[in-house]
Amino acid sequence: MVKQGLFVALLAAVAVLASAQETQPPLPVEPTGIIETLPARYPADWFFVHDAAFFHMSDGKVYLLDTDKDSIGDQVKGLFPVSLMGTFIEAPSRGEIFAVETFHTRGTRGDRIDVLTIWDTVNLAAIAEVMLPTGKRFMGMPERVALQLLKNDRWLAIFNLSPSTTVTLVDLDTRAVIGEIPIPGCSFIYANGDMGLSALCADGRMLTVVLNDDGSEKSRVMSEAFFDSDDSPIFERPAMVGDIAYFPAFDGRVQPVAMTGNAALPMASWPLFGKGEEAWAPSGIGIDSEDDLGRIYFLMNAEANGVDGMHNAGGSEIWVFDPEARRRVLRIPLQAWGLSLAVGRGEEPKVLVTNPTDMSVELYDGLTGSFMKKITGFGQETPLLLRGAE
Amino acid sequence: MMSFIDRLLEQRARSAAQQAPRRGMLKALGGVLVGASTLPLLPVARAAGPEAASRPQESGSDTDCDYWRYCAIDGFLCSCCGGSANTCPPGTEMSPVTWIGTCHNPADGRNYVISYNDCCGKPGCGACLCQRDEGDRPPYRPDKTNDINWCLGTSSAAYHCSAAVVVGVAFEE
Repeated sequence: MVKQGLFVALLAAVAVLASAQETQPPLPVEPTGIIETLPARYPADWFFVHDAAFFHMSDGKVYLLDTDKDSIGDQVKGLFPVSLMGTFIEAPSRGEIFAVETFHTRGTRGDRIDVLTIWDTVNLAAIAEVMLPTGKRFMGMPERVALQLLKNDRWLAIFNLSPSTTVTLVDLDTRAVIGEIPIPGCSFIYANGDMGLSALCADGRMLTVVLNDDGSEKSRVMSEAFFDSDDSPIFERPAMVGDIAYFPAFDGRVQPVAMTGNAALPMASWPLFGKGEEAWAPSGIGIDSEDDLGRIYFLMNAEANGVDGMHNAGGSEIWVFDPEARRRVLRIPLQAWGLSLAVGRGEEPKVLVTNPTDMSVELYDGLTGSFMKKITGFGQETPLLLRGAE
Repeated sequence: MMSFIDRLLEQRARSAAQQAPRRGMLKALGGVLVGASTLPLLPVARAAGPEAASRPQESGSDTDCDYWRYCAIDGFLCSCCGGSANTCPPGTEMSPVTWIGTCHNPADGRNYVISYNDCCGKPGCGACLCQRDEGDRPPYRPDKTNDINWCLGTSSAAYHCSAAVVVGVAFEE
């Protein structure tokens, strides 16, 4: 009886198929060579996922993800390479992404080429290159403060560590190197006004260099010492709100520094932890961020405070603060563990976190702290640094 | 591939074990070690050469991340890549520019200044990934950071693995 039923059903299906073949036209022949494009301004829920390819560094790449979507096919928007521990920064005002990378003519040997590659954001295609001085650019774990835009996005400042430290200045209109600024004893680049840059110094001070319109040096000033790089170090990665850089410290405090446009002025520090939370401290790689509501985010580790060597381990929670009130406004317990975080723009910010237990990225609601989704399987191996689309 | 969580779990477990006194932490060793010719100028007592009969004893396996010399390392252990704790694998090039750590040798009770020389010119070894950040500082302290690709001053910037060379006995504070 069952076999009879199946036979009847099969006949019916064949009949339907035959009918469809008679009534529906075949699929049209499709054109080849179509390449997708992207919107000129990336939406607020799009994020850059920097996979440094720690195990094969010449293959570093940056994925562009739409975290609002729920399938890989919709989430992955494209990627671009950043070879050999490269760095990148997006400039929406120019419709360009700037990637500093290094190649050798024979892969891992041969002549070395250090280059600024310029990608256009709509086509995600390399549209220009600027050759950089060989063997100078900073090469290390991914950093957000190795590149900065200055002069209303006309100049790109590139941090060099060879190990002497300088800043290469590139005019993005003429696509040419226009100068090199020595910053001896100091590292990284923090935008300070539109024509200034600051750098963190090993002696606990901050250097600020203000530039003339032609890129030459106008002034140079050192701040007072405000941390001890041996005994009370700060992380080099601040959360930024307006003109104030909030540097987290190894000891669980946050050190605000006002960027006045011609100097860096350290302000009074304050603790991130409350009573009974003294063992907590920031830890991880991309450990902080800010949102458009003026709040600052820190990846926190419950055991890191006062424990030597725990500052890169990552943490189990993200703490969100109102920096003006010096008040914690949200705790976000992570599903497993976090190594880096980034916050999207807008009034309802989303938080993307690298989960190092499976090298996925996870999305959280920045207003409620609730877990939203895990994104994985898009080809990532070591997504060490995240950035929200600007 | 050793997952990052393995590394993290190792770090968390190690945190309990790393409370050994580090009285010899050499704070005064400023700047970056640039070139072997610079080394005699550093304020450290030079270790005895390998030919010395009274070479201090060491214990443990140099392919183990917990090996005493690796207290501030971050990378692939050269001892798992065809080299050893203090030599590079064949066909690579040792970086003359390094970061340093101060590690406690439990076998003789002394603290030593360790130079972490990257070996360069080939793709990442991929074996025995080891991250221990004791005394590590952000890259604004280049002499004490392991977050930099130290294939500086070499013909190739390609990172292969990291060696840990004893360059002196740390002064007591």
